[in-house]
Amino acid sequence: MSLDPVQVMSGQVKELKVGPSSNGDSRGSWEEKEEIDQDNVGLTTKPKPVTGRRTRKVEGGVFFPKPENAVTVAVSSRVLFRTEREQKVFEQDGVEEYLRFQIEHENEPFTPGPAFPFVKALEAVNCRLRELYPQSEELFDIVLVTYNHAHVGIRLINTINHHNLFIERFCMTGGSSPIGYLKAWQTNLYLSADADKVREALSEGIAAATMFTSEKVTEVSESQLRVAFDGDAVLFSDESERIFKAHGLDKFFEHERDNEDTLLDHGPLKGFLEALGKLQKKFYAKGQRLDCPIRTYLVTARSAASSGIRALKTLRAWGLEIDEALFLAGAPKGPMLEKIRPHIYFDDQMFHVEGAAEMGTVAAHVPYGIAQKHNAKQNISVRK
Amino acid sequence: MVSTIQNTDVKQKEADRAVVVAVTSRAVFDCGADDGDEVCEVGVAFPLLQALQRVNERLLEENPSESLLFDVVLITSDSQQQQQSSRIISNTRHHGLEISRFCFSSEEDFTESLLKNNVHLFLTTDRDEAAQASQKGVFSALLNGKVASSEQLRVVFCGDAVIRTDTEPPSASQDAAQSFWAQLGEMRRRFGMLDSPLSLVLLTSRGGRESCGTALQTLRSRGVNMDEAYSLAGAPQSPILSLLRPHFLLINHLQD
Repeated sequence: MSLDPVQVMSGQVKELKVGPSSNGDSRGSWEEKEEIDQDNVGLTTKPKPVTGRRTRKVEGGVFFPKPENAVTVAVSSRVLFRTEREQKVFEQDGVEEYLRFQIEHENEPFTPGPAFPFVKALEAVNCRLRELYPQSEELFDIVLVTYNHAHVGIRLINTINHHNLFIERFCMTGGSSPIGYLKAWQTNLYLSADADKVREALSEGIAAATMFTSEKVTEVSESQLRVAFDGDAVLFSDESERIFKAHGLDKFFEHERDNEDTLLDHGPLKGFLEALGKLQKKFYAKGQRLDCPIRTYLVTARSAASSGIRALKTLRAWGLEIDEALFLAGAPKGPMLEKIRPHIYFDDQMFHVEGAAEMGTVAAHVPYGIAQKHNAKQNISVRK
Repeated sequence: MVSTIQNTDVKQKEADRAVVVAVTSRAVFDCGADDGDEVCEVGVAFPLLQALQRVNERLLEENPSESLLFDVVLITSDSQQQQQSSRIISNTRHHGLEISRFCFSSEEDFTESLLKNNVHLFLTTDRDEAAQASQKGVFSALLNGKVASSEQLRVVFCGDAVIRTDTEPPSASQDAAQSFWAQLGEMRRRFGMLDSPLSLVLLTSRGGRESCGTALQTLRSRGVNMDEAYSLAGAPQSPILSLLRPHFLLINHLQD
């Protein structure tokens, strides 16, 4: 943007034209001609009637679903994209230098991070949903929730543009906790690189998991979303794991057998599985069961003949269908996951998360339940 | 008839550098019926004035000869409050508020007192008053009816940008808005990223990321760097606003 030196020196800076933005548009100044959103500002004057402006319908589809109708997946910038270089600058040189660096590299898009394939798959499901139900708001809604400063905003937006992601909603909190915003967005799943934030979200009743960047990543489907879950302390409570840790394997089997007809309590990710199931049923209703673009898996150390029964009965009683249940009877999960190729796999034990990552599966840690006390020493260091 | 009384307890700010913020006294003090009790209840704008004061204190800490400070003026325009003028002044003293001038006028000509005092931002809880002031070219905003609790001065700009055609000249009020923003931007730059007494927040309600991105870039080109940014893309505002806890919301200009 060039300034006329005469104008500047005379101290009267007239209306400046904005220089072209990075994608070549040039816009005028930023007045909006809009009415005040009175009903949301806590004013004393009488409210205007709310028009139907919350969803915007664009030929053939709903763009902006209401949060309560959508399955909202909140992702942080560090799991959606790879930001290791920038993290290093932050740690070594502090926040001012970090922001300066980000602004300097504003037109360099970030590369995809661990949650990227998952988000792309969510968008593929949305396309199929829109084809079948153009007016429905029951879609995935991806929100970027980051505690980055808005200075990084332009680079993030440029990156989203570059990768053709459909993310229109975000919160850049400039350092304050994003947890409140997760609730405001009625978040169904929160993915972050920061284990503390994930734990906080879990304690507020929001399904959440920590993701890690791994060098080895196997290819996953672009047309079918695959989500795999561990059983205990993920879909179910950690009740049985407590028994196992306290009293050993035999006691665990005995307990499961004795309680076969008692439902397990629910775990932190049960709600998300439920949300996936609701969307799946929309495909079934249109005769697309075989071709459903969502597929769910249970990958558990329980065994089919014994302790697995209680798990299956519980799922059935909850009215949840899971497409494939894999009972490993204690065998390592890595090879099985490598066959399934899920976009994401949720487990409460870092041991399994790391094992999966070694074989190229994107695994997310759910820091919930009794296993966490044993995992304290194995924490992957989470950089701020 | 408009009259202005200077508060001799407070050092007057430099007229051409200060950011003059006018607030209606009704919003600052809730002086009930004349029951003889001298002390008034504080109103919704009270925490805001305290936050403005804190910004000033920090600005002077960074630079004792700083002239880009908030200059707070109290506007009293309804006749009931007029009668309480001495109570208003004594309450200002009592609560330790750094108000530099008191302006008294009738309801019809309060806008005159705004213009005479070179007010950059007028704050009120009354939408009609805000609209009137805006028509006269004074940038106005509505005070957050819910009392904000944060110590940090939080200013939320609701910026849903539209492409402006060059044939439309900016209204006086739009110009006033933009210059206020530039002043805030400059003030914000006096502080570092962390521990700032002032936080600038962008909220776009309608458009998607493009609107927000354009607003960020445009603001930056005017020297205003936002701390936080929220793109709602049609989602309900109130859950987010109640988390943002703004002291006031700035919309570029009020619709007449």
